[in-house]
Formats: sequence, C-alpha cells, structure tokens
Amino acid sequence: MIPELGHILVIITFVISIMQCFYWLCNLRYTNIDVVRVLQKGSLINFLFIFLSFFILTYSFITSDFSLLIVSNNSHTLKPLIYKISGVWGNHEGSLLLWVLILSAFTFFVSFKDSINSKLLASIIGVQTIILSLFLAFILFTSNPFERVDELPLDGRGLNPLLQDPGLALHPPMLYIGYVGLSVSFSFAVAALITGEINKDWARQMRPWIAIAWSALTIGIALGSWWAYYELGWGGWWFWDPVENASFMPWLVATALLHCVSILEKKLIFINWTILLSILAFSFSLLGTFIVRSGLLTSVHAFASDPSRGVFILIILGISIGVPLILYTIKSSSFNEEKSNFDIFSKESAILVNNLFLTTATLTVLIGTLYPLFLDAINGNKVSIGPAYYNATFAPIMAPVVFLMAIAPFLNWKKYTDKNFIKKMIFLSAVTFLGGTLLYLIEEKSIFALICGSLSIWLFTGVITDLISKIREAKVKLQNIKQIFFFISKINLGIHVAHIGVAIFLAGVTGEQFYKSEYNVIKKVGDIINIGTKSLKFDKIENIDGPNYNSLMATFTLYENNKFISKLRPEKRFYTNQKSQTTEAAILSDFWGDTYLVLGEGDNKTGWSLRIYSNPLVSWIWAGAFFMAVGGILSVTQKSSRFRNV
Amino acid sequence: MNAKYRRLFITIIIILTLGLATKLILMALEDNIVYFYTPNDLIEKFGDTKNIQNKIRIGGLVLESSIKKEGEKTIFMITDRKKEVKVVFKGPLPDLFREGQGIVAEGMFQNNNFIASEVLAKHDENYMPPEVADALKKNNVWKGASD
Repeated sequence: MIPELGHILVIITFVISIMQCFYWLCNLRYTNIDVVRVLQKGSLINFLFIFLSFFILTYSFITSDFSLLIVSNNSHTLKPLIYKISGVWGNHEGSLLLWVLILSAFTFFVSFKDSINSKLLASIIGVQTIILSLFLAFILFTSNPFERVDELPLDGRGLNPLLQDPGLALHPPMLYIGYVGLSVSFSFAVAALITGEINKDWARQMRPWIAIAWSALTIGIALGSWWAYYELGWGGWWFWDPVENASFMPWLVATALLHCVSILEKKLIFINWTILLSILAFSFSLLGTFIVRSGLLTSVHAFASDPSRGVFILIILGISIGVPLILYTIKSSSFNEEKSNFDIFSKESAILVNNLFLTTATLTVLIGTLYPLFLDAINGNKVSIGPAYYNATFAPIMAPVVFLMAIAPFLNWKKYTDKNFIKKMIFLSAVTFLGGTLLYLIEEKSIFALICGSLSIWLFTGVITDLISKIREAKVKLQNIKQIFFFISKINLGIHVAHIGVAIFLAGVTGEQFYKSEYNVIKKVGDIINIGTKSLKFDKIENIDGPNYNSLMATFTLYENNKFISKLRPEKRFYTNQKSQTTEAAILSDFWGDTYLVLGEGDNKTGWSLRIYSNPLVSWIWAGAFFMAVGGILSVTQKSSRFRNV
Repeated sequence: MNAKYRRLFITIIIILTLGLATKLILMALEDNIVYFYTPNDLIEKFGDTKNIQNKIRIGGLVLESSIKKEGEKTIFMITDRKKEVKVVFKGPLPDLFREGQGIVAEGMFQNNNFIASEVLAKHDENYMPPEVADALKKNNVWKGASD
C-alpha cells in the first residue's frame, strides 16, 4: 500500500499546483501580500508532499520492494545500500521525481523571500508552479515511478554496474540542482515580463540563485567527467559526447548570465539581454534534461529509452520556452533603460564581450550537438562529430575569453581610470612570456600546447596581480586580522577564487591534452615495464569475489628510480546478475599527475594486454572546477558590491 | 563615450565575432565530420576502399570466429550479414567486445585494411549502437529484444 500513497501524493500535488496556477492568474491584476501568503502555503504543501513521495520511493528501493517496476528493473537485493539509494535516480522515472523534488524545494525557498516585492514574488511563484505542474503531468501520464509489476520477480535486475559508483551517485542530484536552480532566474525574468517591473533590486535578488545553480552545475559536470575518467577506462575526461554537451550548454549560458546580471545590479542597462539570457539558460537546462533521458541523440553512453514520451516533451518545451519568448517579443521594448556612457575600456564593455563570446561558444556546441540529427533527418546520412570539430571552433572562441578574464577585473565600472593598467599589462606579459618559454624548454609540444599553457599562466598572474593591487589600495596591514576580514568582505573574493579555478583547470587541460603519454604492451607475470623514470613490476593476477561481482585482479608494483612508490591493482569485474563486465583502471594520483593502468584481455601463457597512461596535472582539471564552484558559493554570501565603484 | 559610437562599436564587434564563428563552424563541419557506414553501404557507395581517404566509422556485428590476435593487434571482421570488412585494432578492446556483439569502429583505410583508432561497444549486453540497430533492421537481420 505504501507505494500507492506515494502515487496519491503526486496526484494531490498535481491538483494543488494546478489550482495554485489558476489562483495566481485570476489575481494577476490585484496581487497583494495576501495573494502571496496563499501561494506560499501552496508551495510549502507541494514541497512537503513531493518530499514524502520521494521518501516513499527511496524506501521502496532500500527495502527492495520488487513489486514496483522501476525497483525490479534497477535494483537488486545484493546491492550495497548507497547504490540502492542512488538507484532511485538511476532511471528515467525516478530521476524525474528527483527533478520535481528539487523544483518544489527551490520554489518553496524562493517563495518565502519576503524582501522581493509582492507583485513580482507572486508571479515568480506562479511561473515556478506552472513548470511544476507540467512536470507532474509528465510523471503522472507517461513516467509513473510507482507502477506495479504484474508478476513479482524473485530478485531485481540490478543497476547497470557502471553506474554503481560514488561519483555517479552524486552526479545527477548536483546536475539537477544546477538545471532546476536556473528555473528561479527564469521565473524572475518571466515575472518581470508579466508585471513590467524591473529594477536593480530585481537583479540583486536574482543573482544568488544563479550563483547557486551555477556552482551546483559546475560540480555536477565535474563529477560526471571525473567518473568518465576513472570508470570508463579510456583515460579521457571529456568526450564532447552529446550527453556531456547537454549539461555544458546551460553552464555556458549561466556563466554569461552570472556576469551580465552584475551590471544590472548597478545600472539599469542591458535589461532585455539579461532577461533573454535567463530564459535561454533554463531552456538549455530543459533541453539537457530531455536529451539525456529521451534517447533523442545517439550517444556512446546514452540510456536507451522510450521515444513515445517525445510528444509530451515537445509540449513541455513548447510551453516553457515558446510562451516566454512570445512574451519577450511583445514586452521587451517597454522597459526603460538608464542612460549610460561607459567607456570601451570599462567593466561594462568587458562583460559585454564576455557575453558575446560565451553565447557564440554555446552556439558552436549547439550546432555540433544537433548537426548529426539534422543531417540524418535531411538525407539519412549518419555522422558523428568528435573532439576535432570542437577543437577547431569552441577552443579558438574561448581563448579570448580567458585572455580578457585576466585583465577585465583591472577595469573599473563606466570609465577607464586605472593609471596602473599599462604597468600591470607589462608585468602580466613578462610573467607569461617567461612561463611560456619555460614550458617550451621543458618539452616542446605543439603551438596549441603553448597557447593553452600560457593562457593559464596569464590568468593566474592576472588574478594574483589584481588581488595584490587591491590589497595595496585598501592599505591592508596583513598583521591585522580584523582588517583582513573587513577587506575580504569588501572585495568580491568569489570572483577571484572562481577565476583562479579557471587557471588551474587550464593548467590541467594543458597537461592532460598535450603532455600525456600512452603505452600499449603485452606482458606476463614477473615482467617489468619501464616508463621514463618509473617502472612497473607485474606481480600476480588472481580471481577475487566482490559483493555482487567476481573480479580478475592484477597486482603491480610501481617504482620510481628503483624506490617503492605504490601497489597498483587494475581489475576486470564480472557482474553475474547483469552478465556484464567493467574495467576498473588502477589510478595513482599525486599533485603532479596520474599513472593510469588498464588491464585488457589475455591469459597467463601469451601475456596480458595492458594500457598505461601517464597523465600530467590531470587532477587539476577537477580541482579547478571545485575552485570555480567554491567561488560561485562565495559570491552568494558576498553582499552586492553596490557600495563600491558605482 | 558617445552612445551612437558605442552602439556602432558594439555592432561591429558582434558582426565580426559571429562572422568569424560561422567561418570556423563551416570549416570544422567540412573537415571533421565522421560518416557512419555499414560494410554493405560502404562497398555500395565506394566500390573500392582505396577511394576512401577520410576518417570514417563502420558499424555492425563482430563476425563469429573471425577474431585473431597478432601480438598487440586484434584482427576481426565487421559484418552486417551482407558484406564484411576486415578491421585491425591495436590495444585493449572494450569490455563487451565479443563475437556477435554490435560495435562501431572508427578509423581509416590503409591498403584495404581498416585501421581502427577506436572501437566502441556499449557495456550492456542488450545494447546496440542505434546506427547499427537501424542498419541491421534495414537488412532484416535484427533480433533485438526492444523491438
């Protein structure tokens, strides 16, 4: 009976949310605080009910209630507890319920922001609730997670063994917090279009939500990439796979939005552009959600699924993207912008250029993702677009963004006033030139390696120079802790941390892309493999039983300059209940890079085929993403910089 | 700065960027697209494999008892149950590479041998790359469970 209760809760929430939408629409002209109070209660109830329903589904997974279809298809009694829980969102139906749970949570939190004026707030809750009811309808009519099976199976089919992984357990929730978080800025934008009210406070209230969503999205994408790196055994971390692109496009647009909205906090300019970006960011999130689950695009690691949901998906996309865009074309000309005479060398210009390049970069990714689909529809040609396309389009468009990222923080709002600008530029160029030369001397690689590495150095130096000059200007004494805290609270530390993150990320990319080496060998037990100053000794290979798999595990000893470093144990795992097999690479990570060892096919007579990668600085890629996310979170806690530089 | 000049300046930058991006995209699409063929399509379209200079993808099933090991190299045939293509691949194969499995190989032709740089197979035994499934359906040899 308990699962039926979960189902009924979803139905009740659906009814309440529909009623809420009508209540909001009927009171659109006479919105006051009382209307807001009613909507707040509604969103509280929605949140609680969905939470309970989600809890019930999780409970069914934990107790292995195989009378539920998705439990029997995706779980197994022998599975460890954490993967029973992550199994909840390891499938289409459950992941949609998670999506809705996060949406109702965001709606609940934003609805109690009484500092937003009530006319705007009512519309924000209204728009959020419309999205909520659309998704609830989608769940109820096409993807009910509480569907029962006709015949009770003895045991479940288990979760795809590749997905039984701590990194991937957390990847969907983080990604969804990012996707859904962007619904808040979307609702702010649509509410502004409906009420016609927009001011600096609108931007100030909206920015923290974008920053939270952006940080979560950053972590979500990084986790996915990290998982692909250590689990797929291909040694790569980003494959420009349509599924990856689907999460990357909203990230790019959200990055543009995050920068753009900071202008609006100070002066009412670029209103239309900010609204358009808010709508686009969430549209890409929706597209991302559906691309992954609909099997719309062919992808090496797409989940196979049911295309009959397509029509419903198109309806949801049509309503949530089409209606706001129509509203936008009607209403966007009615906003009054302030007059502003900003210089070419000002923060405003820099952010404008940042936005232009980021949206263009998004466009290249979008075309690369959709072109195969388009070509298939036109003439039936099956093509795939790989990294080469993105290296030729995305990379050259992003390079100027990084270039500007280092110097834009030197600029001031509105006017070119920094007398030390030229001095700083000379310093930056000198350091980058030295760094680049050093890189060239260490090992000569392609010109692209040099550009990529130099950009990282350029950006790193830029951020540090900016921080130092701000410390000097504020005349902070480093001994005085109170003064340091005051200083930190005054500058936007989040920006610096996030930009340092990009520099770290780029260093990692340089190392992984251009300085990595790969060895394919066939070796027998007892053999020694030499890789530069390191050597690997093949100790043994044996069969070992895991909780729900059998493993073929090889043991190697890694020496550097004949000194013992570590044991490496690559495995092949055979999951008996799925009859499938995974490769577990053995990875030894340290600050300067990874040794990545994959066990291939073979036998004791002819030897085992092995693939060894040496990946310099590869973990910097995810460390960089982590810094970016921390920067985003810091910028939430930071009071708007309205008191400075106005 | 004067609003009129600023607008002009912004417009010029936008046009330049978009123009450059379009150019880059068109060039990249021309050079970096990898076409997918089944062995039968390939032979129908090109006749002789000497005519193929670009990187392509071939998809189909791994022909039964065609897998041979020569040191680090694995040699096998890809079939769509009509024609076969010989594939040479160096390095460890994906987990679910086995006879009768649907796979996609990416690479180039050298002297009538397809030298694969990558062999893709899904880690789920019921999975078939969509292109392969389509091609097999076309040839009426599809025996998939999901259809």
